[in-house]
Formats: sequence, structure tokens, C-alpha cells
Amino acid sequence: MELDSIQKDALSEFGNIGAAHAATSLSQMLMSPIEMTVPEVQGVDISELHNYISNEISAMVVFQIQGEVTDGGYIVVSMPRETVIRLTNQMLGTTETDREIDEMDRSAAIEIGNIMISAFLDATAELLGIIMLPSPPALAIDMAHAAFASIVAQMVGDVNDVLIFNTVLTGDAPPIYGSIYMLPNAELMQQLSLMLERLMEPFA
Amino acid sequence: MGTIGLGSCIALILHDRRRSLAGLAHIMLPESRGSADRPGKFADTAVSVLIEEMEKDGSTRFSLAAIVVGGASMFEFSANALNIGERNIAAVKDRLREEGLRIEHEETGGRVGRSVYYWPEGKGRLIIKRADGTCVEI
Repeated sequence: MELDSIQKDALSEFGNIGAAHAATSLSQMLMSPIEMTVPEVQGVDISELHNYISNEISAMVVFQIQGEVTDGGYIVVSMPRETVIRLTNQMLGTTETDREIDEMDRSAAIEIGNIMISAFLDATAELLGIIMLPSPPALAIDMAHAAFASIVAQMVGDVNDVLIFNTVLTGDAPPIYGSIYMLPNAELMQQLSLMLERLMEPFA
Repeated sequence: MGTIGLGSCIALILHDRRRSLAGLAHIMLPESRGSADRPGKFADTAVSVLIEEMEKDGSTRFSLAAIVVGGASMFEFSANALNIGERNIAAVKDRLREEGLRIEHEETGGRVGRSVYYWPEGKGRLIIKRADGTCVEI
């Protein structure tokens, strides 16, 4: 999937708005500021995926984009283990950080992901004037590359590349680190560029 | 040779002990449905292409043995659509049976991701690292 620079800009702006809302919702939950990087949009060949996604053990909450777009692709919130534990601690008022991921962490990771991604899709759908909803979340605590490859396998039946939108969220108190990835499929991408073009028309 | 981060994907290794020659395919999906540009991506095409390539390098089909690793179902309570792993395992094993190849070692299914490394020298050395931190060497 080759993107021209306008499409790239459009997608990154689109994702930027979504990620900003997701960051805000996370910030409200934690009652502390969250920083966000300038998002990157890349077309990645499936054989190069390992250059973009590391193989560290992470918690990944995965959603399919649904609503007025059918099977629009996937959104993933990815967090390192330590971040998940810190987030659970923050919300439950516990302090122990040197422990294994337990049932409560899993539940918390899913819930946090759910709230963030709902905010993401709400904001972007409103911008486009359509309805986008996250599917029920699926959680994997595993090698990041393995999880991403499994998601990508769903999307690349007859194509050999995927679009990856990626932004990093960080906070100091508690020290946390996480990423949001959006992997729109070809149809959603087309729909996005069409709608964004229409949005731009009054200014043309 | 090796491949990192196998989730639902499968690493198929064919090994020719007599020649200390081996090939690895990283298989993502069970069926190619006619797409031919990347045969290694699909179970149905990868098996035959890997055999062909090994035969080009002088192996005979009778001296080949297969190692199959991967095909995990990583996502908890997720839509069935994400569980390609099971289908990948079945497709690869079916194809190997059709080709009359023996599966010498298999580690498939389960919940965790794996990384696979293989050294074809001598009898061959296989290392599988699992996401839960365990590691096996064969």
C-alpha cells in the first residue's frame, strides 16, 4: 500500500487526534500528566515487521475497528510489563512492583486499553461524522512481534504490506510507557482519505 | 538461521541430515487462495516450494525430515478470527503428510509466542525460546 504525502499527513493527523483523546483519558484515570510523541505513519512490508516491532514481552490489548466501517483493521495498546503493574498499583493503591503479572493486572490492562481506545475511536469518528466502535478487547502478554505478526496475518491475505500508525505515551508519576498502534486495512484507509478530502474541501 | 516472535505463524524447518542442509519457511496463513507472489507466506505453497528448493540443492525427498514449531493462539477470549494458529498447524501437517514427509519434532499450539533458531550442521541443533521464559534445546 503506497501512500502519497497528503494521505500520510491525513492519516497521521487523524491518528493524532485519536491518540490525544486516548492520552487525555489515561491522564484523567491516573490524575497525572501524560506526554505523547508526534505520531509516525509507515507502510511496512510483512517481511520487515521485525524492524518495527520489538520482541520484548509486553502486554497488548487488541481491538478490531468496527461500527460503520466493517472490519476496519486493528488498534493495539502495547505496554511493557512494569507499566501494567504500576498502573494496577496506582488504581488499587497497592505498592509492590517486583511481582508477576496476575489476574488483576490483566483485568486492569484490558480496562485501561478499553477506555483509551474508546476515546480514540470516539474522537476520530466524530471528526469523520461516522460511528466507529472497538470490538471487545483481547489481551496477550507475550512477545510483541509474535502478537503483531498474528494480527497482521489476519490482514494480509492478498497484500504484503500493512500501514502502521504509532505514537508513544509516557508519564512520570507513576513512570509509565506505552504505545498505541493503529493498523487500518485498505478499505478503511480509502474511506479515511475520501472523508478527509471532503473535510478539506471548504478550505480549498 | 532462525525466526523471532512466532505467534500464530509457523516455522517449518526441513532438514537433510546426510547433507547437513536445512531450509526454514515462516508461514503466516493456511491457504494461498491462488496468490503466488510470496509462496513462503502460505502453508499450502510453502511446503512444496521448500521441498523444491532443497531438491535444487541436491537433497532427495526421502532424506528430508520436518520440524514444525508455532501456531499458538495468543489472544484470550478473542474473536475466532484471531486464532489462525490452529488452522496453520492443520494445514502444514496435512501438506507434509501429502508429500510423505516425516515430522521429526513438533511443538505447536498453546498460548505463548516462540522464537526458533536452527543450526543444520551435523545432526542439527534446534533451540526454541518461549515467551514465558522457558527454553528448550534439541
